Order: sequence, then structure tokens, then C-alpha cells
Amino acid sequence: MGLDYQTVLWNSHKKKYDLWIAIGVFLYLLTFIGITILTNPETTAETLIIRAFGTLAIALLHIVLLIGPLSRLNSRFLPLLYNRRHLGVSMFLAALIHGAFSIIQFHTLGNTNAFYALFTSNLEYDSLTNFPFQVLGFFALIILFLMAATSHDFWLKNLSPKIWKGLHMMVYVAYAFVLLHVFLGALQQQPSLWSISILSIGFIVIASLHLKAALQESKIDKQTAIKVEDGWEFVCTVDEIPEDRAKIFIVQKERIAIFKYENKLSAISNVCKHQGGPLGEGKVIDGCVTCPWHGYQYLPANGQSPPPFTEKIATYRLKKIANEIYVHPEGLAEGTAIEPIAL
Amino acid sequence: MKENKDFYVGYIDSVAPKTKKTIKGFVLAAFAILLAIAAIFAFTQNTAKNSYFEFGVDTKITGIYHELPYPMLQVKTEENEYRNIVLLGFGKFSANPYLKKIRNTTKPLSGSTLSIEGNLIYYNGKTLIQITDEEKVVLVTPSDAAKIPQPIAMVQDMELQGEIIDPKCYFGVMKPGKGKIHRSCAVLCISGGIPPVLATTDENNISKYYLITDTNGAPIHQDILPFVGKPSVIQGDVYQLQDWYQLRIDVSDIQDLNQPSTIY
Repeated sequence: MGLDYQTVLWNSHKKKYDLWIAIGVFLYLLTFIGITILTNPETTAETLIIRAFGTLAIALLHIVLLIGPLSRLNSRFLPLLYNRRHLGVSMFLAALIHGAFSIIQFHTLGNTNAFYALFTSNLEYDSLTNFPFQVLGFFALIILFLMAATSHDFWLKNLSPKIWKGLHMMVYVAYAFVLLHVFLGALQQQPSLWSISILSIGFIVIASLHLKAALQESKIDKQTAIKVEDGWEFVCTVDEIPEDRAKIFIVQKERIAIFKYENKLSAISNVCKHQGGPLGEGKVIDGCVTCPWHGYQYLPANGQSPPPFTEKIATYRLKKIANEIYVHPEGLAEGTAIEPIAL
Repeated sequence: MKENKDFYVGYIDSVAPKTKKTIKGFVLAAFAILLAIAAIFAFTQNTAKNSYFEFGVDTKITGIYHELPYPMLQVKTEENEYRNIVLLGFGKFSANPYLKKIRNTTKPLSGSTLSIEGNLIYYNGKTLIQITDEEKVVLVTPSDAAKIPQPIAMVQDMELQGEIIDPKCYFGVMKPGKGKIHRSCAVLCISGGIPPVLATTDENNISKYYLITDTNGAPIHQDILPFVGKPSVIQGDVYQLQDWYQLRIDVSDIQDLNQPSTIY
């Protein structure tokens, strides 16, 4: 969490993470360039740069897309999610080098504007064989640029989490454009079973993990109230919730999290104000519900971030009959204090 | 989500051992996959050809200038042996902007002996030169019409299969300088006045090159752009101009094979 905006809120984890990104990028480029120079010494420097950074961007994009579903399926991958932005920006920079060198090489120094030429030097948009694949790469790069440029909490706050999230979900459109760009371009001119296979495997792995994570999420949303008494819905018994943790339930189509802490129970919205992280998968640390994604914190009794932070989420009323917990499905205004249920 | 007791907070230094182990495993796997991807993409590239572009290195050549129909310099290599060097401009342009000054002072220019300094481009028996400075085009002797080589008619209505390329990139500036990836660049080069060339390859992988003109032997640029960089069948009359073939065509006779282009 941060109160003011800095370029990067550095901590030891982020520094370590960035170091490993740099090592990975260096090893990739060393391997690709080294093999090319040894086996294909006539390759020009421009072609080498275009190919090395283009393939690096594709490889990094696959890793970026794996982190989301892996973190949903196993919380031990969450450190990767916490620092995913820097990997995404690194991927964009690799794609930018590929795109910039390609535009300079193929479209500049001619009798027309390079960007106009990009769209018009091949007009066979109705042909799969001759489709101007560069245009697909250009649009993918624009999306990746918008994502990288807004990859900061300043933009998250100012665009609103909903718009910001929608923009960043465009990564899947960019991924589709990138695949088409490669299949209708490089792989059409230079078909290779190996290259086609790794891209196909990459797509299958990414799609499978996303489907598995989505299936798991949909199970939570399918929950229905077992018992309703005077408008209060029975959710679970006290001993079903671990200490300092929560259970997630659906009331009126909204996810709520009921936390057990310090011999008390409180219910809050499950959705973190930062990036919509699942607070119910978080933990109570120093008396605050802590989001598992980026560590944003809320007081369980009133849904407010501890001062000086200002985020607020909805709270829900609870009652306990014997060992059974009931929730009133109507949420209260964000930040409304409710006396926790004493155990 | 898989239940576990670990809980990671990015701004707290400690990380639970099992989470640490998972992340280490992921990083190792990611590195192994990255290196495998780098190796696969690197090894599966087609071999670049041994063409040359002497960028930044000036070479002076002297010979007879002619425009049949594209600017060329006929250079004597041995007794009764000539090489016709295609003249090109900087970037994706013809040599014409760099010949404007000497054209204004030397009339006619064809048949004149010129000394030209520029960057050589060569591959597979063909040579081209990039001119980057009009001051480096110098008149040596005035025009002598008798010295202009004449194209000789070879075959009428010949059908050839190949790809229309721009010779500047194909013969050395870019690798690959043909095929789908390069198509946009070739279109810009030919649109900018660089002569279109048909590159054919037979079953023994021997390539032949034909400078394309219209049926009257005049330059052709804009009309041929839709067919550049694509496998095509072209019908026309073949002429020989010493070490170059010319193919005189009617653009409407070009048949687009609608096949994917391949490198080299």
C-alpha cells in the first residue's frame, strides 16, 4: 500500500524479482543471439535484433499469462502475481524493440509515411494467405503500450479499478493478435514444426489453466443458502472458519468474506478496492484483513483501511445462534462500522 | 484454491519456506522453458544467404551509363566481358534524384562514361550500387551513342514462375529480402523507383533474375505493386542485356498463385 505515488515502491522482494527478470532476459538473448551467430552467421544485425526481441516478447507474454491462473489455483504462486507488473513492462519493452526495428527496417525511408505504409503497402485484408500480418502486431503493441503506460496505482486510482481492469484484460486480445501476427507472418514464410508446436502447446497450457481456474471460481458462485430465517441466511458453523482467516459466501450475487479473529466474527465484501483481489483468501495481520494479492489492508469491523489510507468496502451484519453463523444479505454502506460478533 | 497456511505479503520480508520452494521451482522451470524457446526459435531460422551490402564503405566504379530502361552502369570486367551495375538511391528510392544534377549538365547522359562512388550490393553474380551523394557522380567522357549496349530478343511469350522482388533488398541490404515478411518493404522500394525484378528458382536451386519492363521496354512501377512479394506466374518476352535478362510484360498477364511465400 502507498499513500503517495512513486515510480516504484521498491522493497527487497521487488528488487530480487527484477534481478531474476534481468537474468532471464539476458540468458534468453544470449542463447538466441549466440546460436544464430554460430549457425547462421550471414544474418544481419537488424534481423537478429528483430527476431531476438520478438521471440523474447512472445516467451515473456506466455509467462505473464500463466501467473494469473496459477495464483488462483495455488496461493504459493502469489509472490509472482505481486510483482507481475515489472514482468509485463519488460515484455512490452521487448515487443517495442521488435516493433520499432521492424517499422524502421521495412517501412521507413520510403516515399510515404512509415505508419501509413504499414497499413497500405499490402491491402489484401480479405486474404488469409496474403493478410498484412504487420497490422496485427501493431495493434498488439498499442494494447501492450497502453497496459505498460497505465501499469501504476496512479492510473488504477484515476481510471477507476473497473476501467483499469477492463483495459488490462485486453492482454488477451493482444495475445490473440500476437499469435495471428506470428502464424500469418513468420511461420507462414518460415514454417517450422517445432515453432508451431511450442506456440500451440503454450496456447493449450494457458487456455487449460484459465479454464481450470474459472471452473473453480464458478463453484463459489453456485453456492445457495441452505437455510433462511427472517431474512438472515445461514452460512456455516463457527468452527468451519480458521483463526485469522475467512470463508467466502455468496449473498445477493455478491461475494462476502466472514473473518474469525481475536474471538470475534466480522463480515465484509470479498472484493479489494485495489484490483478486486479476493479478501476472503487473505489473512488478518496486526488486526487488519490483508489482501493476498498486493497486501492492501482493511479493519474487519468497519471495512475501512487503517488511517491514513482511505479505501472502504461494504460491511455485512452477522448473528450467531448457538454455533451457527447467519448473515444479513443486505450490505451496508462502505466503511459502516458493525460491532463484531463475540465468540 | 489449494489450501495452505502460507501467506505472502510483498512488503514483509519473510516468506514461508513452502512458498519460497514453489517460487524457486517456478523460476527454474521458467528459465528452462525460456532457454528451450530461444534454442527452438534460433535453430529453426532458415539460413541467411551470403549476399553483401557494403554499408558505410564507398567504392568507385567507372563505366558507360545507360537507361535500358533503368539506370545502370556498364563496367568492363575483362576483355569483351561486362557487368551492368544497377544504380540505386539511398533508402527505398531509385538513383534518379542523385542523377538529376548531372542530367542537367550532360545531355544526353546515356552513353557517357561516369565515375560513381557508392556502396556496393552483390549476390549471385549481380552487382548494384547505392548512391548517397550526387557530388559523387562524375562525368569522365561525354556521350557516345555507339557505346550503349542493346538488348537482344531471346524468347517470345515465355512463362516463368517466381517472385517479383526489389533487387536492392534481395541482393544484400536485407536478409530475408523477399517473401511475405519483406513484401511491404519491396512494395515501397519499387514504388520509390527501384526496378522490379522477377527472381526464379529451378529444381536445381539455380536462380535467374529478370528486370521487368512493360511491353515496350519502358519502366514499370506502380502497376506491378499488387503482385510484388508473392509467388506468381508471369508471361512475357525475354531480352538479354549482357549479364541481365529483361522480361517485357503486360501486367494483366500476371497470375497470382495465392501461395504462401517462403524464404530463399
